[in-house]
Amino acid sequence: MVAEHIIKSYDEELQRLNNMIVEMGGLAESQLAAAVEVVIERDSDRAIRVVEGDAQVDQLEREIDNLAIRLLALRQPMARDLREIVAALKIASDLERICDYAANVAKRSIALAQSPPVGPVHALPGMARLALLLVKDVIDAYVARDADRAIEVWNRDEELDEMYASLFRVFLTYMMEDPRNIGPSTHLLFIAKNIERIGDHATNIAENVYYLVHGIPLEQARPKGDSSSLQVVAPERPAGQTGAR
Amino acid sequence: MNSPLAQSRLQQTTPLGSSDDDGLPAPPTHRPASDPRAALRPLADGQSEHAAIATSPTLPTKVDIRNINFFYGKAQALKNISLALYDRRVTAFIGPSGCGKSTLLRILNRIYELYPGQSAAGEVLLDGENILAPGLDLNRLRAKIGMVFQKPTPFPMSIRDNIAFGIRLYERLPQSELDERIESALRRAALWDEVKDKLRQSGLSLSGGQQQRLCIARAIAIKPEVLLLDEPASALDPISTQRIEELIAELKSDYCIAIVTHNMQQAARSSDYTAFLYLGELIEFDETERIFTHPKLRRTEDYITGRFG
Repeated sequence: MVAEHIIKSYDEELQRLNNMIVEMGGLAESQLAAAVEVVIERDSDRAIRVVEGDAQVDQLEREIDNLAIRLLALRQPMARDLREIVAALKIASDLERICDYAANVAKRSIALAQSPPVGPVHALPGMARLALLLVKDVIDAYVARDADRAIEVWNRDEELDEMYASLFRVFLTYMMEDPRNIGPSTHLLFIAKNIERIGDHATNIAENVYYLVHGIPLEQARPKGDSSSLQVVAPERPAGQTGAR
Repeated sequence: MNSPLAQSRLQQTTPLGSSDDDGLPAPPTHRPASDPRAALRPLADGQSEHAAIATSPTLPTKVDIRNINFFYGKAQALKNISLALYDRRVTAFIGPSGCGKSTLLRILNRIYELYPGQSAAGEVLLDGENILAPGLDLNRLRAKIGMVFQKPTPFPMSIRDNIAFGIRLYERLPQSELDERIESALRRAALWDEVKDKLRQSGLSLSGGQQQRLCIARAIAIKPEVLLLDEPASALDPISTQRIEELIAELKSDYCIAIVTHNMQQAARSSDYTAFLYLGELIEFDETERIFTHPKLRRTEDYITGRFG
């Protein structure tokens, strides 16, 4: 692919940085997968392990930061090398956020397991599958330095946004039906929101992969499918009141 | 690699800076005014089709290098080099040893003519006048185009006389004016404060970095229009190097400057435009920022990132 540096240790350090990102990507995938499983299986013991697993990711991010800063200071990287290092820094921070969201999903599952199961929880795995696929694909795109594949991820996030918007409506309706649903439904709503945010971080990574390959930012505005921030649900009017105005 | 953006990246030449319809008056140009792609320099005859040469549509050209071929005896050192040095801008020439960058610099004030068997073909237009034309007054040329070399070359005389020597070659000034000119040259070269109390001491008594600044002061004392710097800081310590770079930044408000350097970071820090030469050919010429962040050609990128085989 790319020719080797005259100084071999430089190549080795860049390769090490690359491997650490891939390792972190793998951790993000397994944390996310496990977090959604514990919601469905109501397995609080495993949920605690997922929450604790986040520390390992944070440690890896610190190591990536240190190596990247060391490379910047000692190698004076230029052009593609510079983009490799800057992209690694940014991708690591996105992966760290993805893992934070996964840990938060696991944490909420513990609270959720203390109340009776609510119906719409079964809509979550589908959404999580897509989020997981985006994370997996964007890491694959990074490994292969494949900008086209990164653009696919970038475009598919819209689907995830749409799934979230429709789940938002489902949870809201569910809460209106019975106030006892409000507690668990709110947790589920945050869980869905976390998964939706994971998709956004995957698109950030996709943008960085594109920049890494081409040296120019992926500029067009990303398609937006989440309209839930604009959504209003009006309570039903009591009978007899006229719709004045 | 087949997205539209990837395609555009592979284009051979792209205009720099603002677009043609920015309402600014057209800059003086030696290119045909009818050329609808005035911002693009057409490839010169025989120039490598794999080169990427961008030109600025708005900056005034001070030195226009056109189809330069250069020979050391029978060996061709430069092949069809065409590029523009812009006024009040710093242009860096980079490339591995033997690529022709110093040769190119030495053509610009015809210093190569001091050596037998060296010959240049093509044109170098200084404000439209071909300085390679036979019969040109070389003294007048070298008053307009000053040069500073890799090793400091102070004359074995006092600091003051080092500067006065050059001025006296071209002008006869009254004592007071001469003193003023010497002071201002030393000030501009950021050396005055260090030598003002010892102007009668030998120039050779100064440190290497000071000697190099003395040479720059000597070059600018005769009020040239173009300044050629051939690895001016390669023999200096980091602090002296930074002083020279700061000086280049100062001087570019008045001069057109060309600098040859092996230090890539120095080219990146101190120049506005960068030309990458390899084996006597101009491979890529563009804004320095572009060259060092995402050059158009893989060969350029391999060189600046230290991957050159």
